[in-house]
Amino acid sequence: MRRSFLAASALLLLALLAALWQESRQSRPVSLTPVLTSQVEYCLTCHADLPEISQSHPVKTFGCVLCHGGERLALDADLAHSTMRGGNNPSDFSVVEASCGGDNCHSGAAADYRNHIQRATTSIQATYAGAIAGIRYTFGAQPDPNARLGIYAIQAPQSASGITELAAFDPAGETSPAIQAFAQDCLNCHLSAQPLAGDEYSRFTGCAACHTPLSDSPTIFSENGGSQREIHNLTTAIPYTQCNRCHNRGNYDLRTMTFQPRADQPTDRLHDYYQPIAQFVRCEWTLDCVDCHTRAEIMGNGSLYSNKKEIQYIQCRTCHGTLTELPKTKTLTDPNDLAFRLAFLNESARHVESAWNLEISDTILVTKKGEPLWNIRPLPDGTYELFVKSTGQRFTFHPVMGSSCQQKPDEQASQDCHKCHAVER
Amino acid sequence: MRPSFLHHLHPPTIPTRQARFRYTLAAGGLAVFLMLILLVTGILEMFFYIPTPDEAALSIQTLSFLVPYGGLVRNLHYWSAQLLLVVSAVHLVRVIFTGAYAAPRRFNYLLGLFLFVTAILLDFTGYILRWDEGVHWALVAGTNLVKSIPLLGNTLYGILVGGGQPGSATLIRFYGWHIFGLTLVAVILGFWHIFRLRRDGGIAVPPPALRTDQERITRFELVRREVLAMLLTGSALFILSVFAPAPLAPPIRNTATLMESARAPWFFLWVQQLLKLGSPFLWGVLVPLAVLILLTLIPYSFPKPAIGELGRWFPKSNRAAQILVAILGLAILSLIALALIPSP
Amino acid sequence: MPDLSRRDFLKLARDGLLSLSGLLGLGGLIRFLAYQTEPPTRTEFDLGPASDYPAGTHKVIPEVPAFLIHDANGFNALSLVCTHLGCTVEEKAEGFSCPCHGSCFDPQGEVARGPANKPLRSLHVETTVDGHLHLSTA
Repeated sequence: MRRSFLAASALLLLALLAALWQESRQSRPVSLTPVLTSQVEYCLTCHADLPEISQSHPVKTFGCVLCHGGERLALDADLAHSTMRGGNNPSDFSVVEASCGGDNCHSGAAADYRNHIQRATTSIQATYAGAIAGIRYTFGAQPDPNARLGIYAIQAPQSASGITELAAFDPAGETSPAIQAFAQDCLNCHLSAQPLAGDEYSRFTGCAACHTPLSDSPTIFSENGGSQREIHNLTTAIPYTQCNRCHNRGNYDLRTMTFQPRADQPTDRLHDYYQPIAQFVRCEWTLDCVDCHTRAEIMGNGSLYSNKKEIQYIQCRTCHGTLTELPKTKTLTDPNDLAFRLAFLNESARHVESAWNLEISDTILVTKKGEPLWNIRPLPDGTYELFVKSTGQRFTFHPVMGSSCQQKPDEQASQDCHKCHAVER
Repeated sequence: MRPSFLHHLHPPTIPTRQARFRYTLAAGGLAVFLMLILLVTGILEMFFYIPTPDEAALSIQTLSFLVPYGGLVRNLHYWSAQLLLVVSAVHLVRVIFTGAYAAPRRFNYLLGLFLFVTAILLDFTGYILRWDEGVHWALVAGTNLVKSIPLLGNTLYGILVGGGQPGSATLIRFYGWHIFGLTLVAVILGFWHIFRLRRDGGIAVPPPALRTDQERITRFELVRREVLAMLLTGSALFILSVFAPAPLAPPIRNTATLMESARAPWFFLWVQQLLKLGSPFLWGVLVPLAVLILLTLIPYSFPKPAIGELGRWFPKSNRAAQILVAILGLAILSLIALALIPSP
Repeated sequence: MPDLSRRDFLKLARDGLLSLSGLLGLGGLIRFLAYQTEPPTRTEFDLGPASDYPAGTHKVIPEVPAFLIHDANGFNALSLVCTHLGCTVEEKAEGFSCPCHGSCFDPQGEVARGPANKPLRSLHVETTVDGHLHLSTA
């Protein structure tokens, strides 16, 4: 009996020591009480090595849970991550309103330039309405090319196009085998879709599809490619390579309803940018897509359209003008002008070496619809300067007026400029 | 040595044969020990638990992850509770299979049975206090089951839930039941049960004339054995609590949607299986009630164990009762096992 | 070395192990009970633009609680927490008085009448880069 007692006492002590050991192994909780929520969270206990996602979303102000969801007090990974929105991408359109929405954030009033979610989710890149309408019209499923269906159902009550809603495209309801084949093979390039397999296609969905650019380095973390450092990143300095995760990847063959990936193996920017069949001028491969294409063109203007041509409107003349007209400009007088905010939000613009400081009474270019081209401005000597959003590089260019350009007055479209200025590879 | 208060709570001597572990399986004594652990760990948890729908699950997360040894206290409470039900069932089976419920112990048997039911209700109310998605289904289904009782159903539901549907009133009522109402009942029944045990003559044995073995152990030896059992069980509980944490799920944030798979707590899985057969009142209320009634009838309506056969396992005289309990036990265990097999 | 019987040694060992377990348990219990779930009391306060507090004026800041003075020497603040047992003192013509047990303080915070025997604490006020006043009770 005495020996059993001794053994039992020793066993109890061992059990208590086991409890002590387990407690000591637990990582010390690292707390963060974000300014916006005032509710303490412990995500940093394991994730302290993540970089700040952007200068506009400092973790001290936002914390993690406000955007990502999750259980803020849990130190067990499974429980902590169980209620996260959208997995590792809270900007996926299925959860974007809960993650990024709010009057003061990204689903506010258009007048405050805060209606990003409404614009992005109604844009053609998101709804794929153009491709769907085109295919259905081509194969007789609808009498005209006007959009009726999108990848998901969505409404736009104030739509300028007259199309105020789209129903969801349902392949099961289509009778044409061509349209069904389209649904089978061709739905990988809208913003809610998972991309095709392969580094050249890798991207996130939702807002992050563009705003979290992944480099061309090999996949070393998750199926989306890129390193963890790159993944936790929101930026407006978007290089062309990100657009090229969907664009310039190949061609559709309508007869076989298949996608033919481009077969070339480019080794430099000149050959990588566009497909071998494309025609382009120098600035179209030197600059990034976002340096010319505007906010409304890429993200939409909140209205539903049937074809990308209804929203794309940037032309060579927007920046270069014509023989008889200089490019349109605007002088900044209102401190709340969108141009100031856009310039502020771009990391390259704020970087000390390449700082592009816009001030009141500065002049910048504008498009014919009034969209500010905040990264382009006239110089005193009659030339113009462009600031590359992704790198901060600067280029100087001349207007057409006063040059030896051979334009005809009625041939002012970009394709006419290409006739002389297209680059040979 | 002079006997202490603790020693005096025990009889001066008990028969050696019946004091052996292989006879009682130490089940009754372990039940008392586990209840003590539950009381202490429960009081400690009360320092951190917040009984409101918004804070309940979060306060448990705080306890489990941030409070030093908070997770340990919670796990001890959880495992003691589940082990208590197992040990109580073992004790019930032991009492049946040794015929230890015969007169004058029939009333004490009833006390024990109600104590068992109280322990089950304590486990269920404690389970609900988690107020997370893991218990959401059980909360909805369990309270709705009460509504299925004819005539009294809606009134009972109102008393249980405190409103039209589970909410903050429900949580505070379950909290009241768990930390006070049912605990008070358990303490009273428990003391009464142990008092009756001594008054009815201690552990059931044949009268001296029919006994073959007259050896007895002293109260000192008995207490020594109990302390040893407590040390061993305590160690096992600690080891279990260190390596097998109690379940946690995200808080219930929207009472309308159910996130996790629909699973009753393990001790009610047999009822959940029965409910697949049809009427909630029949399968969820009447059948379990019938099981309870059958068990209460055993000392009164079944062939009584012969006095000469007491003090050992599997006496011939109360075979009917043994067979009934075996069937009921196996049925319930099979239903529970069936529920645990993952569905294809 | 005194002779220790085997029985006594085993008893000693057993008692030693149990005592050690008891001490470990006690230590764990104390750490458990001592954990604070509420965040620590706030010590830093932004009082708004300094221009809101012109020279020659004073103002009661209730959320601290403190008494802010802007005089020829600049900004100064007195804690309105009575040094006796912590009630909030009230501003009176002759200084401050405490409604709980009758302590009185002069306008500079010195004790005029007990039971308090320590003067009201002086709190640190500074002007931030963007012209706001920052008060600290630390």
